[in-house]
Amino acid sequence: MRYILTFYLLIPLSSLPQTTSFDFHLPENIKKFADHLFCEGDYLRAIEQYDLIKQILDNDTIEFKVMLGYSSLGFHQESNEIFKVVNDKSNFYADAYLLSLKNQLLIASKLINDSSIALFNSIQMKSFSKLTTISMLYDDEFNIPKEKFISPFDEEERNSVSSFYDYKVEPQYKSPTLAGIMSAIIPGSGKMYVGEWGDGITALLATSLFAFLAYDNFSADHTTRAWIFTGLGAFFYAGNIYGSVASAQIFNARIDFAFSNGLELFLQQQNYFLPEYDFCK
Amino acid sequence: MTSVNKIFFIVIFVWLSLARLFAQDSFADQFNLAKKLYDEQNYFDAITEFKRLLFFDDSEIYNYDTNRMIGLSYKNGGKFSDALRYFTIAEIQSSTPEENYNCRIEIIKINILRRTTHRALTMLDSLAADAKCSNKLDDINYWRGWTYIFSDDWEMASSSFSEIQPNHQLALLCDSMANDLYSAQLAKFLSIVPGAGQFYTGEYVSGLISIGWNVLWGYLTINAFMEDRVFDGLMVGTLLWWRFYSGNIQNAEEFALEKNLEKTNAALRYLQYISIEKKP
Repeated sequence: MRYILTFYLLIPLSSLPQTTSFDFHLPENIKKFADHLFCEGDYLRAIEQYDLIKQILDNDTIEFKVMLGYSSLGFHQESNEIFKVVNDKSNFYADAYLLSLKNQLLIASKLINDSSIALFNSIQMKSFSKLTTISMLYDDEFNIPKEKFISPFDEEERNSVSSFYDYKVEPQYKSPTLAGIMSAIIPGSGKMYVGEWGDGITALLATSLFAFLAYDNFSADHTTRAWIFTGLGAFFYAGNIYGSVASAQIFNARIDFAFSNGLELFLQQQNYFLPEYDFCK
Repeated sequence: MTSVNKIFFIVIFVWLSLARLFAQDSFADQFNLAKKLYDEQNYFDAITEFKRLLFFDDSEIYNYDTNRMIGLSYKNGGKFSDALRYFTIAEIQSSTPEENYNCRIEIIKINILRRTTHRALTMLDSLAADAKCSNKLDDINYWRGWTYIFSDDWEMASSSFSEIQPNHQLALLCDSMANDLYSAQLAKFLSIVPGAGQFYTGEYVSGLISIGWNVLWGYLTINAFMEDRVFDGLMVGTLLWWRFYSGNIQNAEEFALEKNLEKTNAALRYLQYISIEKKP
């Protein structure tokens, strides 16, 4: 009986040391928690936790995840700072290199001139080709044949890439000077040239109406009203010329915005052609 | 049962209780640490420590409190969407009607702050209809009052606070605010006489300018008709006089709304700093 009693007494005793002092700050516990935060999408806290243990655990996955976290948060510069210390023998070096190119594109919005590296596998090589090719759209000197430009892309990507190419080669701009001159000759025609038909017709009718009223009142010696209508007519005429120039500039800005916005959206949808990393399975 | 067995069961019970008590200590310490950070208004770190506790606490003892505190921390950091998420989880984890009620009120407070008035009122109505909250009607009316304050409906706010107590401090404040606001409709109506709406809102210069323009274009329009220049009269009347006349009405309404916004913002700033026990 004494043995049985001793045995039962030891059961809770044995469980006590395991449960009384749970250390939240053991490196492995911090890592587990950081991984959880990373998968939850709370990158800022995940990075903070990884920073606490990266010296102790010396883990290249952590380094890459921190880089990925910064990039996801939009801190591309910080992400590339991490890349500078990534060992080129690391398993993630090729991935980190690709990610650094994406960051580079987002920081500077210019052509990526970096060369490929021997560590790339076929998928990474494809990502690299797509990313560097699409970065050409950010360059002012754009002179590459269309076939060559779209060749690295998959069939489903080619339509979008092709339309970006067309825009880059021949943007459908309207000339502000021409719009202004047209409106000076025939009021409203500059607006019509930009495609704003309603405004153009209104400007034509209003200017003509005020010109007629001014002429008619001068003819009838009603000078006060004549000068009021002359002033209004001149205001509409000058305003219409200014408006036509502004409309052409807005039209061009809208085209540029649609291009850059469309390109950004396309790249986001394609995840900048980077492979998907799933650390949360 | 023999005496040995009795002793055995007592010892087992005591040891297991002790084991459980000590096991909770680390987690209780972690909760206290996170709570301390929250009290020090260090919300970012507080959330980290609460989340750490939540992640490691398999016993789920702290689930409700932790989720609620994370929600409060996010709310204090202005992250309302994240706060809503954690308050909703806390509501699911709540084990007593009081806890459940508190979470729902926190969700309502977020809706008040985000000015999603309809959602806040719907939730308050649902609480008022809940038999378990029958002793909370004053509190529900209190938050209903705040909902109306944030939707600029000071009269309804006053009426909600008055249901708690006729001379409630906030009811009196809302009454005075409601009386102090300009009526945009009245400003528009007065502007039938050009400039009168602007005078009502205290914009005397603008009122005088408005009178001047309307007198000028009115004179020229009538003058044209009197000289049998009907087409001229129509053109001046529609393109100039009517434009300035309708502009005068719109202008008076805009002044009233602008002034009301200034008054409302001043009142909300005042409410932010005065000492009231409960605020959203």
